[in-house]
Amino acid sequence: MILVIAEQQDGTLNKSSWETIAAAQQTGGPVKVAVVGAATAAAAAALAAADVAEVLRVEAPVLSPYTLDGFVSALGQVVAAERPGDVYLPHTYQTRDFAPALAVHLGRALVTDCVATRQADGRRLFVRPVFQGRLLADVACDGQALATFQIGAVRADTVVRGAVPAPVRTVEVAVDAGAIRQKPEAPFREAKQAVDLTQAERIVAVGRGIKELEKVALAQQLAAAMGAEVGASRPICDAGWLPMDRQIGSSGQTVAPKLYLALGISGAIQHLVGMKGARTIVAINKDPEAPIFEVADYGVVGDLFEIVPAVIKELQG
Amino acid sequence: MHATETWIFRILVLGFAAAFAAQVWTRARLVLRARNNIHVRDDETGRRLLRFVAEVVFQSRTIAERPAVGIAHLGVYWGFTAFALYTGVEFLAGLGIADFTGARWFHLYALALVPFSVAVMLGISGLLVRRAIVRPAALGDHVSGESVLIGFFILTLMITFLLAFQWETGLAARVNWWIHAMVILGFLVLIPDSKHFHLVLSPLTVYLRSPSLATVPNLDFEQEQVGLETVADVERKQVLDAFTCVECGRCQVNCPAHATGKLLNPKQLILQNEEALLAGALDRKLADVFDAKVLWQCTTCGACEAQCPVGVEHLPLIIGARRGLASNGEAPDALAAVYNHLERRGNIWGLGADLRQKFVQSAGVEIFDAARHEYLVWLGCAGAFEADFQKSLRSLFDILRARGVRFGVLAKERCTGDVAKRTGNEYLFQELARANIEDFSAAGVTKIITSCPHCLRTMGVDYREFGFTAEVVHSATLVAELTRTMAAPGAGHVTFHDPCYLGRYAGVTEEPRELLARFGATVHEPGRHGANPFCCGAGGGLLFEEHEEGRRISQERLEQLHGTGAPTIVTSCPFCSIMLKGAQASANTQVEFVDLISFVDGRMKSAAPAATPRP
Amino acid sequence: MKIAVCLKQVPSRDWQPRVNDQKTWVRDQDATFELNEPDAYALEEGLRLREKHGGEVVVCSVGPARVSQALREALARGADRAIHVEDEAAASADAFAVAEALAAAMRDEAFDLVLTGLQSDDQGSAQTGVMLAALLGIASATIIMEVDVQAPGLRVKRELEGGWFQWVALPMPALLTIQSGINQLRYATLKGIMAAKKKEIRKVAPPSGLASRQRITGLYVPEKRKQTQMISGSPAEAAKALVAALRDEARVIS
Repeated sequence: MILVIAEQQDGTLNKSSWETIAAAQQTGGPVKVAVVGAATAAAAAALAAADVAEVLRVEAPVLSPYTLDGFVSALGQVVAAERPGDVYLPHTYQTRDFAPALAVHLGRALVTDCVATRQADGRRLFVRPVFQGRLLADVACDGQALATFQIGAVRADTVVRGAVPAPVRTVEVAVDAGAIRQKPEAPFREAKQAVDLTQAERIVAVGRGIKELEKVALAQQLAAAMGAEVGASRPICDAGWLPMDRQIGSSGQTVAPKLYLALGISGAIQHLVGMKGARTIVAINKDPEAPIFEVADYGVVGDLFEIVPAVIKELQG
Repeated sequence: MHATETWIFRILVLGFAAAFAAQVWTRARLVLRARNNIHVRDDETGRRLLRFVAEVVFQSRTIAERPAVGIAHLGVYWGFTAFALYTGVEFLAGLGIADFTGARWFHLYALALVPFSVAVMLGISGLLVRRAIVRPAALGDHVSGESVLIGFFILTLMITFLLAFQWETGLAARVNWWIHAMVILGFLVLIPDSKHFHLVLSPLTVYLRSPSLATVPNLDFEQEQVGLETVADVERKQVLDAFTCVECGRCQVNCPAHATGKLLNPKQLILQNEEALLAGALDRKLADVFDAKVLWQCTTCGACEAQCPVGVEHLPLIIGARRGLASNGEAPDALAAVYNHLERRGNIWGLGADLRQKFVQSAGVEIFDAARHEYLVWLGCAGAFEADFQKSLRSLFDILRARGVRFGVLAKERCTGDVAKRTGNEYLFQELARANIEDFSAAGVTKIITSCPHCLRTMGVDYREFGFTAEVVHSATLVAELTRTMAAPGAGHVTFHDPCYLGRYAGVTEEPRELLARFGATVHEPGRHGANPFCCGAGGGLLFEEHEEGRRISQERLEQLHGTGAPTIVTSCPFCSIMLKGAQASANTQVEFVDLISFVDGRMKSAAPAATPRP
Repeated sequence: MKIAVCLKQVPSRDWQPRVNDQKTWVRDQDATFELNEPDAYALEEGLRLREKHGGEVVVCSVGPARVSQALREALARGADRAIHVEDEAAASADAFAVAEALAAAMRDEAFDLVLTGLQSDDQGSAQTGVMLAALLGIASATIIMEVDVQAPGLRVKRELEGGWFQWVALPMPALLTIQSGINQLRYATLKGIMAAKKKEIRKVAPPSGLASRQRITGLYVPEKRKQTQMISGSPAEAAKALVAALRDEARVIS
């Protein structure tokens, strides 16, 4: 039986939980899902829709907010009681915090950031990227393991739903509040006095191709539609169309967002060094020879004044 | 002369000479205690002597930069020299040692001096008017009283000399003689503590000046050398320089940083150094003496050093002080990032080698093999990663192929270390240099072509100190030679921006113009061109500095080039190209940029598209 | 404050990894090595904390003899001394075994604070730090942006998903994994390099019987390589294809 640890925040399930359940289901054996917190009824009810043997509510007041010590203690008890084979978790900020400690507590191997698993030669292999994704490794474990799955590696919509809701059971855990060493405060977003593009997950950047100050608004609309920050190459900031703290390139703002969308930016070296670390680079430029296409993952050669509105429409539709 | 007069004169001469000697001794002590960085090789003596004759005897630099002023000064200087014997004879007579004043040869000599005295008077009058009335910016904000005094001294000397012909005997003659003699003694005592010390020192500093611009030898790590940290560390040549500076301001006026409103002023640096040395506070930090911020504003263009008529070498002082800062971790943040990039990735931008690999493959060039190739084409950091410069390199490859030159590129390159060297990170520079030289040696490289003037300087000059002997040539030079017999008319109007590291440092000014002219371009020159161009602002690590005080140097230069009226700017250095194009992007001019080699290639192909043989 | 910074020496990012014959690891005999960049940020943070609060910074690493080069680089940047657990097979060992080796070597030093990078450029497991904390029995927190020492404890700023942050208080001794990019990295100065030659690197043997609990059985090149995908068609078509690719393939928008 594979035990999946779902993740929830104030009653809302993290979407990656479904991906992890799908990964577990794909192994073909029985699956149980556990959700941890102080108020897990709603999350458990939602999880029950999946085709799993059982949903376990690991509930205790001291388990909210999340703390490393609290979760390791609680999950350690759950694993001891339920005796699963492998334990699957999504690879999130939270599991990166506690899963290794849980592994030490259980004396198990932990395989992180898996993109797939498969059965071969009578054992389960976990597939994960190494050397910055240049190679993939098949990993086999001694005995039962913990495995975390890369966000988006398995598609959430491949989860098999149950014909009837799965049974939900509350699991008793005794967590000593006094033994919890971490004292977290409430999460917050940064006050936007200054723009810190280095923390942005997505950036829409404009260059000289935007032609006029009025057209900068187009980039801002696109940014709003995809939940991105707006950045710019130097000429735009020099012209005063955007403030200096939005300039990307050379010394100063070096960014490494998940998504970098370059609009009308040629990709001169001074700009390139500021954004080459972005995970996914999209370039929209009417010059097919623009150097930006050398580093882009996706490129569209064309008139950005036609393409960007179409993209905004596609995002909103 | 009366016996009493003689004795009074003897005492006066003794007194003034002692005062002179004491002042000279203070300075001599500072010179002697400083670490010696003056190394004159035997095989250089000839060249140095020639330079001495040109610059000291014939005042070539003072005249070249400011013709009228230079000639006036030449008059004063030659006059001075001509009068030396006269003064000597008169003093010997006055001291009662020997009297040749009656000799016939002396009379003839004195007559021969008359035209010199006129030249001196005209010269010094002109110079006085310039200093006190015209007051050019180069000479500073306020008029130097001492200089005016000396000017009047010189006039007095000439007047009293001429009057001696009128008044040969009697009271008037004596008074005239004494005035002349006292002015000389007064002058003597003023010399050491003023810029007039150049009278004594400048022949020495000109002779001792290093053969090439910005000569900053390697630090010896075994000796735990870390660069110049305090006044005590300033080396011998730079101490001499401090005392020889004539405060003419040629360096200041030609400095691109100073011209665009930055605090850096090369003349100021030399004078601050002098002040600090004389103040005796030898353990004062150079970062305080100069204000560290100012040291990082230098692009190392070399205009200051190249202009100096008395052989002052500014760059060893600036780079030496940078070393002192960099060795202590006080390089600016922008450079810290570059150092980390160089250490990790071996290039200035920290980009991956796979990008270079992509270019090498797409350009279809072979990997260098000493058995088959004559030349190694060195790509450099810009060649590996900068798209526009790669176009220039593709043109170079095509030209070389068309002219039957067998060449290859290295499978992997690391930066020559230019930025590290110019910004004072000696350790990094030496690491890169040694590793590169080892690679060259292992691959059997004997000839290198580069299109980057910085690589040219670093490999062609700085690497020699490690015993590197391969030939290093800039593509402009080689292509000019390869296409000697080729021409094509009608290519329109252009202006050529001489890179500092090509025009000033390497003296390559003719070949680019020859190429442009032969291939049909009409070249329009901005005021600053050839061996004295105006920097683009990239050198000395400033490529990486986003914040510039005052106007952007690149902006200033773009306007100068734009001002020639030519619609096209031809560049010959990847960094000049990056800076000027960047300036254009932020300005609103509409000039075209083309690289010199791309221009030539384009003309070769359009002139005879089918006739270009391809092996 | 007695601060430890755990470092790993990894093959240079430029180096093209080639798989060995058994397909269990890479052929790193011909690789060039460098200090793992995320660890450089941990080192920088450690040095800044020492500058602020005094004490010493001790860098620790597990690996073959060549690792001493990375330790010297760290010493050249200002660390005071180093501990090298010399183990030829460490590069391909799993995080658990490495953490056990580090814990054995570090336990007696009783550090107030242990810093590590988020993950290594080669294996990228992102586990060693937290495992080390668990083995040492000290508190830990991960993906830390800022450290505020408030003796006898700390207050640290954790990065969360989606642009959220959280301050967490924890007692010392503690271990933190430091987020990359939070500080400007200092460079190795000439004086630092000269001084590093005289600093101590204490060699320690790994505990006996150490074994990985997981192993690589196959190593191969993934199907998809980084190539620019040009999207063509009318603006509407291109927009549709682009958004779909970003949503489903690259998974950078929801």
